Amino acid sequence: MWGYQKRLAADLSRWKANGWLTDEGEAQIARELVSNRRNFGLAPALGVLASVLLAFAVMSFVAAHWQDIARGARLVILFASMWTGYAVAGMFGARGQSGMSDAAILFAVAVFGASIALISQMFHIDGHAPDGVALWAAGALLSGVLLRSNAAVAFAMGLVAVWGALETFERAAVFWPFLLGWAAVSAAFLWQRWRPGLHLSALAVSAFVIALGYVLSDGHDHALVVALGLMAVVSGLAIERFEPAWHVAVEPVVGYGLMTTFAGAMALQFGENPSGVALIVMASLTLLVLIGSIAYGMSTRRPSAIWLGYLGFSIEILALYAKTVGTILGTSLFFLVAGVLVAALAALAWRLAHRSAESERSS
Amino acid sequence: MSNSIGGWRPGPTWRWLCVAAVIQTAVLWSIVAKRQALLRDGKEIALPVMPVDPRDLFRGDYVTLGYELTPIKSMALDGRPSFDGLSKGAIAYVTLHQSVDESWLVRSISAKFPERVDNGDIVIRGRVAYHWGTAGSSDESIDVRFGIERYFVPEGTGALLETKVRDKAIKALVAVGADGTAGIKGLLIDGQRHEDPPLF
Repeated sequence: MWGYQKRLAADLSRWKANGWLTDEGEAQIARELVSNRRNFGLAPALGVLASVLLAFAVMSFVAAHWQDIARGARLVILFASMWTGYAVAGMFGARGQSGMSDAAILFAVAVFGASIALISQMFHIDGHAPDGVALWAAGALLSGVLLRSNAAVAFAMGLVAVWGALETFERAAVFWPFLLGWAAVSAAFLWQRWRPGLHLSALAVSAFVIALGYVLSDGHDHALVVALGLMAVVSGLAIERFEPAWHVAVEPVVGYGLMTTFAGAMALQFGENPSGVALIVMASLTLLVLIGSIAYGMSTRRPSAIWLGYLGFSIEILALYAKTVGTILGTSLFFLVAGVLVAALAALAWRLAHRSAESERSS
Repeated sequence: MSNSIGGWRPGPTWRWLCVAAVIQTAVLWSIVAKRQALLRDGKEIALPVMPVDPRDLFRGDYVTLGYELTPIKSMALDGRPSFDGLSKGAIAYVTLHQSVDESWLVRSISAKFPERVDNGDIVIRGRVAYHWGTAGSSDESIDVRFGIERYFVPEGTGALLETKVRDKAIKALVAVGADGTAGIKGLLIDGQRHEDPPLF
């Protein structure tokens, strides 16, 4: 956001200097920027923090004085807190302060979750905890969609992730219903056209795929993770080539696919115990994919691919170093070979760049 | 696409705020009403409890109640049944029968609600917490949680109740619904009933 404003300010003066922009137009844009900044400022951020603190206050007050309050009154306190949250949200909404309104909705959703726990306590229900989390997630999603609150839908995604993790740990098996919850929340992000939410979706599903490797085939199915990650990368590249209308999806699909592939490859190389030859083959392939990512990022001007490539490359090299120190493989030999290979790639890249520059000049 | 939580959007309308609040209140109320109905209409049984350990970070003091019904050993049941389909986390239905001295004993366990239930028997729905031993072997046994393992008490009184539980002077009063759901009505301490009055 701030980066965007800075860039825009620089562009504005250039556009004005080129005569593309009138004084009045510039003033209009500046006004809108200021009003956006006010909305995004400190107040809503503090509002969110305050709502979290207030929700904790309600929860701990009710929990601490549980036995002193008549059981009927406990329910009244919980319901009244929730309704107050929604009423405050409505008041802020009516004044156009959507950030503060979001904070109040978040408070109401938090009280809804606390109520589930406290009602369970009231009736000595030692239920299945993930069921409570799932119900809470459904409530958060409902509020998020009805009230168009991005914060509440993001909170629902967090709860869906917790739900999936709890069930997976308990069963030590894949918990497929997670995907239903994930799809519902992702659909809400799409419907609200909120891009940061889609990143949360991508992150959650990447974590699910990576976890598959640790759950399927007695916890040794990381090859599947690599395959699924590569599929995502390939489909991202296919979108780029054949569906120009969807270009906005290319970078995230490739990026999260690459992350998933790399997580699977790390587990295969360092979580399992491959033979020396297998390790060399896998490490070389991993480094090749990462170098490919850097090259792709540079040629298409996608910085995320470049940075993921660099980051992965560094992690891979460090992990290899730690693993091969003092083994038969011989750390120095491995790095010698890797160094020669990368140098060869560098030479190849230079020649390609040189040739394309030459052909451009001659054409 | 809006890129921020706080960017300008129309605020929530009063109508939808009311809808959200009403639906969420109704959901919470249905939990309360269902539980009330279970405690009122369910068949009551008294089960002896064993000590475990206290304190829940979020919900104040509680006593953990262990039941003598579990773990259930395959070889202790008639016909040494198999525990197929009862992996960790799965739903389990445990059928209880009352012995001559009026204590409740496990008759059978299955992954589905039993088709035929003998007169006087009770079926409790639970979830498999652990499953040990190889299938069909004599050491195969299963631990089931029924959702009645926590009893929340006023702060500070947990330790006292713990001692009573340790002395085996406590029984849990459990209501069991027609679908097998179990709920704690209260405790039977030294033969005296302690239970919360119904809400409505």
